[in-house]
Amino acid sequence: MAAVAQTSRFGNVFWPVLAWVVALIFFFPIFWMVFTSFKTDADAVKPEFLFSFTPTLENYTNMTENYDYWRFAINSVITSTFATAFALFVGVPAAYAMAFDPSRHTKDVLVWMLSTKMLPAAAVLYPMTFLTKNFLGIFDTHFLIILVLCLINLPIVIWMLFTYFKEIPKEIIEAGKMDGVSTWGEIKDILIPLAWGGVASTALLCFIFCWNEAYWTVRLTTTEAATLSKLIEGNRAPEGLFFGRLSAVSTAAVGPIVILGWFCQKQLVRGLTFGAVK
Amino acid sequence: MSKRTLPRLLQTPAVVLLLLWMLIPLGMTLYFSFIRYVLNSLRRPEWTTPSLSNWRGFGNYEYVLFSAKDFWFAVQNSLFIVVSILVLTVVLGLALAMLVNRSFPGRGIVRVLLISPFFVMPAVNAVLWINMILDPVLGLNGLAVEGLNGMIQGLRDFPVLGAFFSMWPEIVPISFRATQTSAYAVIIMVTWQWTPFAVLIFMTSLQSEDEQQKEAAILDGANAWSRFRNLTVPHLARPIAIVVMIQSIFHLSLYAEIEIVSRGNGNKNLPYLIGEFTSNNIGAASATGIFAVILANIVAIFLLRMVGKSMMD
Repeated sequence: MAAVAQTSRFGNVFWPVLAWVVALIFFFPIFWMVFTSFKTDADAVKPEFLFSFTPTLENYTNMTENYDYWRFAINSVITSTFATAFALFVGVPAAYAMAFDPSRHTKDVLVWMLSTKMLPAAAVLYPMTFLTKNFLGIFDTHFLIILVLCLINLPIVIWMLFTYFKEIPKEIIEAGKMDGVSTWGEIKDILIPLAWGGVASTALLCFIFCWNEAYWTVRLTTTEAATLSKLIEGNRAPEGLFFGRLSAVSTAAVGPIVILGWFCQKQLVRGLTFGAVK
Repeated sequence: MSKRTLPRLLQTPAVVLLLLWMLIPLGMTLYFSFIRYVLNSLRRPEWTTPSLSNWRGFGNYEYVLFSAKDFWFAVQNSLFIVVSILVLTVVLGLALAMLVNRSFPGRGIVRVLLISPFFVMPAVNAVLWINMILDPVLGLNGLAVEGLNGMIQGLRDFPVLGAFFSMWPEIVPISFRATQTSAYAVIIMVTWQWTPFAVLIFMTSLQSEDEQQKEAAILDGANAWSRFRNLTVPHLARPIAIVVMIQSIFHLSLYAEIEIVSRGNGNKNLPYLIGEFTSNNIGAASATGIFAVILANIVAIFLLRMVGKSMMD
């Protein structure tokens, strides 16, 4: 970089300043949401109160009253956590076998798994509703949402784990085999400690995707298992009357995830490009 | 136990789950697309239960293609939205990645600020943009225009110059709730959300660029533009292809944003049209669903061709 960066004194000031300006513009909507969440609903829509207003926590303290926030939040936590755990439970052994014991078909299986991700959800919306409502009777249950979230993220989880596992030298696993370690022992005592960082970031990313999922969680729930996506979608047209409280509930819904996301930026690249960009 | 049994056994749960998840709903969609199946019908109550005796052949497909007026609009609009987002995110993403790919004070914070929109839940993204930012009266859009108009109004009172400003028209804020403009609103908010993704990928890729080659080019007297064209762009070809393909898959099934921004104003894409059909005509919804699957598969085949192989190394 050193040689390239020596362009000019002007450039050394101008480009960083531009980078800062652009970053602030991109962040502005999020800032604005957090900012507005400290205004009363009345202050939020008055131009003269754009910056002169008395900050209030009222929107946050009334969140339960206005939106029943906690019920949706708890559902989001439960479904995302269990879906992630389940996806790892199924995904780790599969990725392990594919990385260390590949067969002729492993490539095809991986590509096929990825292709299930490309199936447009809307195309199978009615069958899913029909099956779960009329046939299985699991519509609007935590079980269903956990299952669906797990399945839609399973291909990404397996791909990510696969790329991490492939980086572990095969010899280490072979050595374990020589010493007579069982398969489960290999996974537990050799693989997981070595790939711990990879497994953790896979879990984190899977959790974020589960939390933000907004198609199935909205369509396959009514009240019982409804998550934060459903809560926000249900309040989509406040007609400007409730900007303050809407901002507060939105901030509470995305805040934790945005902060988690900061910690896994790098892994995000691997997860979303299936290891193709490093 | 043979040598191959155990690895197979370990993969079985994942493979079986995904197979069921793919085949059962898709099989049902395929079946429903060939029968007459509606949720409510006083005239033909027998059509309200799925049954082979209501066989319609390709009738639903014909209906969707030739009679349902919104199908072609939805296809066109889906493509318009996806292509616009792709062009904007790739161009902005490249520019921003180049911008951040140098060391300067606070670079870490700049990266964190830039990446944040990507983690915002789509429903919040849509509600936030359409109400608080783009609303022509109460959003920042409205407030900004109002402020501008106020300023011009003030300038009109000046002697001499006032005559000039009084010729200026009153500015009217754009409403993003009409059919066409709400598609723009969707494009704006999704571009905001996905540009960080493109930046992240391009940045990662730029960091693996061969610096020695670049320095050699500088010594040979190549200027910044020709270094960018001849070294950086070829290096970024694969990441660009990946960004384009992955985004196509995600944005072809865009739903929450359309639902929140455009409900009832005529702006729709293929998934949204399926949702509309699903409120009564399941046969037509299923046929449209099959078209959506075909469209997604065309994109998917390109993706797997272009990047699938290189992912395995």
